[in-house]
Amino acid sequence: MTADARIIPFRPRPRRPEKMMSNGVLGMLLVVFVEVMLFAGFISGFLIVKARAVGSVWPPPNQPRLPFERTAVNTSFLILSGIVLLIAHRAYQRGNKAIGTLLLTATLLGGAFVAMQGVEWVALLREGLTLTSSLYGSLFYTIIGAHAVHAVVAIGLLVWAWLRLQAGSLSRENLSTVALFWYFVVLVWPFLYFQVYL
Amino acid sequence: MRTARERNRLRGLALGGAAAVLLVAAFPDVAHACPVCFDRDDEARLAFLATTGLLTLLPLGLVAGTGWWIRKRAREVGEGVESEPTPPTRSS
Repeated sequence: MTADARIIPFRPRPRRPEKMMSNGVLGMLLVVFVEVMLFAGFISGFLIVKARAVGSVWPPPNQPRLPFERTAVNTSFLILSGIVLLIAHRAYQRGNKAIGTLLLTATLLGGAFVAMQGVEWVALLREGLTLTSSLYGSLFYTIIGAHAVHAVVAIGLLVWAWLRLQAGSLSRENLSTVALFWYFVVLVWPFLYFQVYL
Repeated sequence: MRTARERNRLRGLALGGAAAVLLVAAFPDVAHACPVCFDRDDEARLAFLATTGLLTLLPLGLVAGTGWWIRKRAREVGEGVESEPTPPTRSS
């Protein structure tokens, strides 16, 4: 060691602070908040109309009854789809890239839910329940239709995520953003089902 | 001492205020606050109260939940930065 040795302090490069959440997830969270309020407004309106029904009879007489047994089966498809996506999401966050089958299963289960809802709607339309037939019909198609539109958009996003996964360009943030929207679609449904169908 | 510009401004404000009072006084009408939010039926009254509570508390709950989650996440990130080992200093 020489006499004129100098101590060189180690100066690490300043690290960029870790992000608490990605921009996509934050944006989707805001969208979900807006959608939660939209459905809360729908449910509030529905509850008030139901409470003020003539003679406290609900559903109104001479109106087709909603198929709540078949919709219960449908509901199980949707919830199962959410569980499968949750498993895929968690695996991807841990670094497991082989989630293609799980993602596709979640998407197909979601698609089955929307398809079965469509079949139900056709049957109800044939029975005479339309958007303009009564307040009951208007509320049913508005609330359940709004959910169906959200489900279709979310399925589109899941398909997009699956395609990106196949191309090897799906980031964790992308999957989290898409999954957040699907979780919303899945979680809001039981509230709608119990209020509107039962 | 007020300048001519300030005096003009005050005069304008006074005239505007007087015009607003006159307009309000000229077109009086009864204000019906939420004409549908009452009902003789107990069930309907309960529904109004429940939905008012839901629509009031839900956004507050969403904001509070997000705030709580961000605070928790910020602590986790902060603890991660603090627990990083400090590299040793080099000397020759």
